[in-house]
Amino acid sequence: MSLDWTGEPRRRLHPLTPLLKGVRGFAVVVAAISLQGFAQLGLSSGAVVVLLAVLGALALSWVSWLVTGYHVVNQELRVYEGLVWRRSRAIALARLQSVEVVRPLLARLTGLAELRLEVVGGAKTEAPLAFLTVAEAHILRDRLLAISEQAHAAVATPETTAGPDGAVPQAARPEPPAPEQRLHQVAPRDLLLAQLLTPQALLTPFTLTASMLMFALNPNMSLIGILGAVGAAVGIALQPIRRVIADYGFTVATVPNGLRLRHGLLETRSQTVPAGRVQALAVTWPLLWRPQRWLRCRIDVAGAAGGGDGEQVRGGALLPVAEPETARQVVARVLPGVDLAVVPLTRVPPQARYRAPLRRRVLAAGLGEHAFAVRHGLITHHLILVPYARIQSIRVSQGPWQRALGLATVYADTAGTGIVAAAEHRDLAEARWLAAELTARARQARLADRSR
Amino acid sequence: MTSADTSIEPWGADTAWHPVSSKLIPVRLISFGISLLPIAFGIAIAWPYLPTWSRIVVIAGFVVGVALRTMMVIRAVRSWGYAERDEDLMVRHGIMVRRLSIVPYGRMQFVDVSAGPLERAFGLATVDLHTAAAASDASVPGLEPGAATRLRDRLAALGRTHSEGL
Repeated sequence: MSLDWTGEPRRRLHPLTPLLKGVRGFAVVVAAISLQGFAQLGLSSGAVVVLLAVLGALALSWVSWLVTGYHVVNQELRVYEGLVWRRSRAIALARLQSVEVVRPLLARLTGLAELRLEVVGGAKTEAPLAFLTVAEAHILRDRLLAISEQAHAAVATPETTAGPDGAVPQAARPEPPAPEQRLHQVAPRDLLLAQLLTPQALLTPFTLTASMLMFALNPNMSLIGILGAVGAAVGIALQPIRRVIADYGFTVATVPNGLRLRHGLLETRSQTVPAGRVQALAVTWPLLWRPQRWLRCRIDVAGAAGGGDGEQVRGGALLPVAEPETARQVVARVLPGVDLAVVPLTRVPPQARYRAPLRRRVLAAGLGEHAFAVRHGLITHHLILVPYARIQSIRVSQGPWQRALGLATVYADTAGTGIVAAAEHRDLAEARWLAAELTARARQARLADRSR
Repeated sequence: MTSADTSIEPWGADTAWHPVSSKLIPVRLISFGISLLPIAFGIAIAWPYLPTWSRIVVIAGFVVGVALRTMMVIRAVRSWGYAERDEDLMVRHGIMVRRLSIVPYGRMQFVDVSAGPLERAFGLATVDLHTAAAASDASVPGLEPGAATRLRDRLAALGRTHSEGL
């Protein structure tokens, strides 16, 4: 098992890890037994069961801590885990898409952090290293990013890499912590107001009064009924609350060769995306935010399919709420050369009104200097930007109704997971031209990327 | 069939399209036939309880449906085509909904060659080109084994010379 060590020794996670994971187990056990279970068992025997379960969970997580280790070999991060089913994963850092330092509340209290890597081809977050001390996590993150950059450069220009193994340059020692340059921080007041201006938040008073009324009109309603109604009302309100907590203090910053996003009130997250890893960017103008002229930005990074904890909806927020001018500055840093104020867009041809009578006023697409732009969405406008250099393939499709009208839809596919760039219902001749032009521009951008 | 005006392909006249093998037609027809079995079974069970006039309607409907679908299958197979250009592979197919994919060789992650039991019986294979984008759809069915391996090897070689990161 330990014969293939080359370079540095294998390292363990922080010794407090089993305790923190055990606490999670405790919560699970309590939830599993539930109130009813406690009532049946009686207090003392219930406590014994809980104690046993917690001890068991602690022992299990202690064993798993013992057998878990990681180290960096050449241009890979290797993670070893599992007692019965041994697993050792080698994560090629050339394919690193983003690194996130996550600090759940408990980890913050104990000065620990979790490191999560996004790699191309991983359906979920690879190798969450939980837990490390914050300093360790930051050093490891900077080191992984530095190695990733080197490896990426080596892949892009294969001529310069040394041939046989062993000659691959050993990764640089951790450099002094990368200076961060703050671009923008979202004011808590804006975030709160923005989340109040969502349909869910505006509906809450109504749903609450409705459940009160139900109770007032029908006093002999069962407890379950009341709890259900109130629960539904709270459930609706939960999403905006969650967003406020998750996006609190949202900060966009640049680090050398990358982008850093930090946010969170209870659980803090700090995500670093190396330059050129943003697959697509979506700008959204929700209807209720129009009086403030606010907008929201999301970025799409390959492999990052939500947070992995059922957080699919959130995607990668770039700006939870921002004014147009701020967004313009931030977007210009994220996608160099893209100016939100002057995105060239042309609308769909007049015959599209038979296919999309309402949306035809919104649907638009255009070729910018560095990115393909698509606008859609009737009530909530969306603008999607795909840098030419990130286009994986181009598709054209034409349904029967579109054929009758001489229309076609052009897709630009990226390695991202959340944002679809489809220029719907373009005039057929224009669609052909778009496909040809996108192919040519994507190729040029790729070549430019390679020679950089 | 595709005049320059109504096709969805750019570079219309300059591309040399390769059709897929016409042996794919029986393959698709047989799998269509297999999918018909439950319906045929249902009709057979209901048969004794049906009045005469509705038997005629059912049979007529069945025959017309099968005939139409057969024609569609044949045309759908004929609509498949692929073209190897200098920098990318183009794949087109579909008659009701026409689709065209343009996949640059440099974006290729891996190539699959697969053959189901039916395809194997007719000596055919499918070549699938995968990129890092899940939406990319470049799959060429109905290739003779020789053509399939040739295409795969060519694609692999082209992918190597054009290879890029993400």
